[in-house]
Amino acid sequence: MSDQHPNGNASAPDMYQQLGAITRQLHDALKELGYTDKLKGTVDQLPDAQSRLSYIARLTGEAAEKVLNHVELGKSEQEHVAQRGRQLHDTIAAVPGLGKAMPELLAWSKDVVETAEKTDARLTDIMMAQDFHDLTGQVIARVVQLAGQIEEQLLALLLQSAPASQAVAEPPPGELAGPVVNAEGRTDVVSDQAGVDDLLASLGF
Amino acid sequence: MATPMKFLIVDDFSTMRRIVRNLLKEIGHADADEAEDGAIALNKLKNGGFQFVVTDINMPNMNGFELLEAIKSDDKLKSLPVLMVTAEARKEDIIRAAQGGAAGYIVKPFTKATLEEKLANIFQKLGIGG
Repeated sequence: MSDQHPNGNASAPDMYQQLGAITRQLHDALKELGYTDKLKGTVDQLPDAQSRLSYIARLTGEAAEKVLNHVELGKSEQEHVAQRGRQLHDTIAAVPGLGKAMPELLAWSKDVVETAEKTDARLTDIMMAQDFHDLTGQVIARVVQLAGQIEEQLLALLLQSAPASQAVAEPPPGELAGPVVNAEGRTDVVSDQAGVDDLLASLGF
Repeated sequence: MATPMKFLIVDDFSTMRRIVRNLLKEIGHADADEAEDGAIALNKLKNGGFQFVVTDINMPNMNGFELLEAIKSDDKLKSLPVLMVTAEARKEDIIRAAQGGAAGYIVKPFTKATLEEKLANIFQKLGIGG
């Protein structure tokens, strides 16, 4: 991690001094304009926003689990239907002359098996769609964390303590970035599995 | 059809563990256990009986990178194939996983076909599972 200032020429003490001055000006302006109370109101609302987001994460998680419960039961039932359909087909075929006399019976039993298999594939798609909970859950957890940091820093501003020196937009070095919410215009991330495969192939993996 | 092998699915989200477990079952690998973070996974792996690890990266206590490192530095575990299934899409993370010895990397959201294809590639490379 480099200590270098973004513009490359201000020393760290200068930067802190400037930040301190800006914070003082901001504080005075807030006070003069009567915004301190409003800011305090905003700070007070942040825990509420956090708990609302956590509530969304919990409820969507429970909903996804419910869907998975039904999908698993549905898959098991479809497997049963398909198995019965195959048994029916074999039974009809085993009765001498029946398949020839009533060929529609064989077609219907085949149709039952094929339809059960199609429904099973649809259930797999429904199951896969529940991955939204993992992805949105990770993003919500990150926003809740961010709201906590903002609250902390606004409180520090309100208390006129040390200048806020910790950036909130970038995760600290070594921290994982989580799901990419918008990959457009970014070169440091891949946007799909093909991107992963190409990158690994280019490195000889 | 693959030869029977026991999978350990590691993810802090129970929905994702269930999804991966069901997909593995459909692909023909019904024998699987789950762990909700790297630390729990490592304990289970040390008790033995697993032939394959599918792990998330971003998890509390011990993340997927730390788990991968622990597996690859353990003489008894280092031959275990580790497939990363994660929402982390930064190139540096993908490279880190590959250099750390991961057998494959799948970025979420993914499909059944992707999982099936990556598993087949790994089995072929390692000469296991048919």
